[in-house]
Amino acid sequence: MLGFSEHSLTNFLFWITQKKWFLITMVISVFLLFIPAPSGLSIEGYRSIIIVITALMLIVTEPIPLPAIAMYILVMEVYLGIGSANDIAKSFMNDAVFFIMGSLMLAVAIIKQGWDARIALGIITLTGNKTRNIVFGFTAISAILASFIGEHTVAAIMLPIAMTLIHFTSEDKEKVQNLSAVLLFSIAYGALVGSIGTPSGGGRNVIMIDYLRDSGLSISYINWMLRVYPLVLIQIPIVSWVLMKSFTPEFIKLDSGVRKLVVQVAKSAEMTGRNTIAAVIFLLVFAGWIFFSESVGLGTIALTGVLMYLVGGFVKWEDLSKNTHWGVILLFGSTISLGSNIKTTGAAVWLAESIVNFIEPVINKLPFVADLIVTVMTTTMANVLSSSATVAVLGPITMNMGQDSMHLGMVTAIASAFGYFTAVAAPACTIVYSSGLVNAKDFLKVGWKMGVISIVLLVIYANTYWLFFR
Amino acid sequence: MKILIAVSNKEYSGPTLRVGIRVARAFKASTTIVDVGEKVSEFNAKVVGLSQERLESWNFDRPGVDVLEWAFEFLAEKKFIEPTEIEAGFPKNTLVDTGGNRSEVYLKGTICEDVNLILRNGEIISELRDEVAGHQYDVTIIGGSKKRRMAHDLIQYIDSSIFIVNQFDPDKLYKILLAVDDSKGTRKAVKYGARVAQAFNIDVDILTISKTEHFGEGYKNAAERAAKFIQRCGINYKNIYKVGDPSEVIKEVAGNNHIIVMGTSTRNPLKKFFKGSKPLKVMENCHCPILIVK
Repeated sequence: MLGFSEHSLTNFLFWITQKKWFLITMVISVFLLFIPAPSGLSIEGYRSIIIVITALMLIVTEPIPLPAIAMYILVMEVYLGIGSANDIAKSFMNDAVFFIMGSLMLAVAIIKQGWDARIALGIITLTGNKTRNIVFGFTAISAILASFIGEHTVAAIMLPIAMTLIHFTSEDKEKVQNLSAVLLFSIAYGALVGSIGTPSGGGRNVIMIDYLRDSGLSISYINWMLRVYPLVLIQIPIVSWVLMKSFTPEFIKLDSGVRKLVVQVAKSAEMTGRNTIAAVIFLLVFAGWIFFSESVGLGTIALTGVLMYLVGGFVKWEDLSKNTHWGVILLFGSTISLGSNIKTTGAAVWLAESIVNFIEPVINKLPFVADLIVTVMTTTMANVLSSSATVAVLGPITMNMGQDSMHLGMVTAIASAFGYFTAVAAPACTIVYSSGLVNAKDFLKVGWKMGVISIVLLVIYANTYWLFFR
Repeated sequence: MKILIAVSNKEYSGPTLRVGIRVARAFKASTTIVDVGEKVSEFNAKVVGLSQERLESWNFDRPGVDVLEWAFEFLAEKKFIEPTEIEAGFPKNTLVDTGGNRSEVYLKGTICEDVNLILRNGEIISELRDEVAGHQYDVTIIGGSKKRRMAHDLIQYIDSSIFIVNQFDPDKLYKILLAVDDSKGTRKAVKYGARVAQAFNIDVDILTISKTEHFGEGYKNAAERAAKFIQRCGINYKNIYKVGDPSEVIKEVAGNNHIIVMGTSTRNPLKKFFKGSKPLKVMENCHCPILIVK
């Protein structure tokens, strides 16, 4: 038919079904380009919003590989006149991207050190063998560790510990369904609530710090902790309580599981000098974040840590390279570039003002409504795509929705951690889901409870405790 | 001859594997068993991979390895693989990453040279299409699915014959229902139908359908050729001539005790995409095993 073989027609049809969301997105962007820009918004601002909408559609539906989405953003910003090629290239890379790169590599380096066995022993010594206490212990340790080293590292370290406990309690998956859910969610949700605690807890925090700095507002590592850590500590017991109520575990005590776990980890090698040095390097990185991040940047310090691990031979470049998704780093760079461009073109202010005008009658009576809307918007987005991309794109908008950009920016960064509802967005949830011991319905079942509690708690917290920081 | 058997879990894939091995024996085919695991978002793929590496150091298998281990035990029980392989046990630590979300274990077979066990991750049609195109399988054997789109995509996009093992009951006595007409795909369908009949040691009903009372020369010749071939293979058979809509007639004659074998549609891909095809209508209407020969 028309000179095409049946085989090539079939290939073409297959390509269409695989790429249908890309084609739909292109049609939508062409359609939007033909509509005139709304009043009060520059052409460049309108076009950057179009790129944001279409990029987000592509990120959620993934019809093309992530690096291709990054390239789409890059070329569209140039073709649509948002900036020159050099301007766009410069906006791709900043300290936040260094941090994301560094923290992904630090995750590989730390996980390769095999500290999980010792952490397991430590937890069990503290919590004993009652399920309730173990759940609390897992939540607390996951939260505290995640606040310093990030949720994905913690989930990867803690998952084998939980799975071993479950396996040693019963090898029949049906007999331990609720126990599996309660232990695995304590890791995932613990890591999520903890990841907001310090700037180094997640790329989203660093992206927000960079945005605040661009607006002339600075916040030190310690200052961030003072503002946010109490919220982490409040949420830890809440998470364990919600989980125990939602999934009543089949076993109240895990004495046999704990005993066998202790025997297993006792067989692991003793701490060596090298292990100690690796831990010291990490402590140095941590100290660097606390004392020097404002002057040299969190990303620079993270990369310094990676450099030290590489030079010391604690991790091989091949392992780092293999386990670091360069496409994801490129995509984060491009979303940060987009965020920066919606700011400079005035689109962020226009969007913020449009939202505020819409809710003005309510805001005048109830000032915390802006916080509520920011939190709900951010939480929704953070459950369908990465929290860092959420903050990169939403940050410039939400920061302009009120007088206090610092307040709104931090609310956005914190709310982007509320990725409880789905297994696809937050890395900690995806890691726990990949074990095969929990299913998507479990996330919905307990996620909405944690989501509502976290949203309400954040709005109250930001409008009470944070008054002391004004 | 190369056969690909797609399994997903021990609970549902038993009939698929059972039928697949029987067919592989009949064709003396090089056999590959594939488990396609869920797609992980590209954002988190590397982190999940890192976590799974860590789990392996705690002796936890990647998801899907347990399915391959179950398949291995089935092959061992049926003596489909060499005794030395059976003695050595399932070689889970020798899963080789062959790139593109694919890991492989290679075994030595008794009926054929190669038996491979493969793990893939991603969207199932896309992964099966890649696997079939990359390794040129002749038949893909897969269990039934409730998703209507799956049937369409399997026929449309997988470049091999498709055997859908729908509601197969190993204790039931089946017959082959071989649908023939004058299209060029019928000849190959007849050959495959005969082999499958030999694999299960069952009879064949050769069905010719006309939309009107008049059966053209082409149809009659096709039916006679098929009958001769089946007879030469030493298989019991019966010729059935019916008038009506093909998919309705096939559903009526097949009942719930036939394995349907038919050739692929001769429609061009675009028409098939928008209007469907006879094999697709049969697949949607009938809930018995069906082999569509391409």
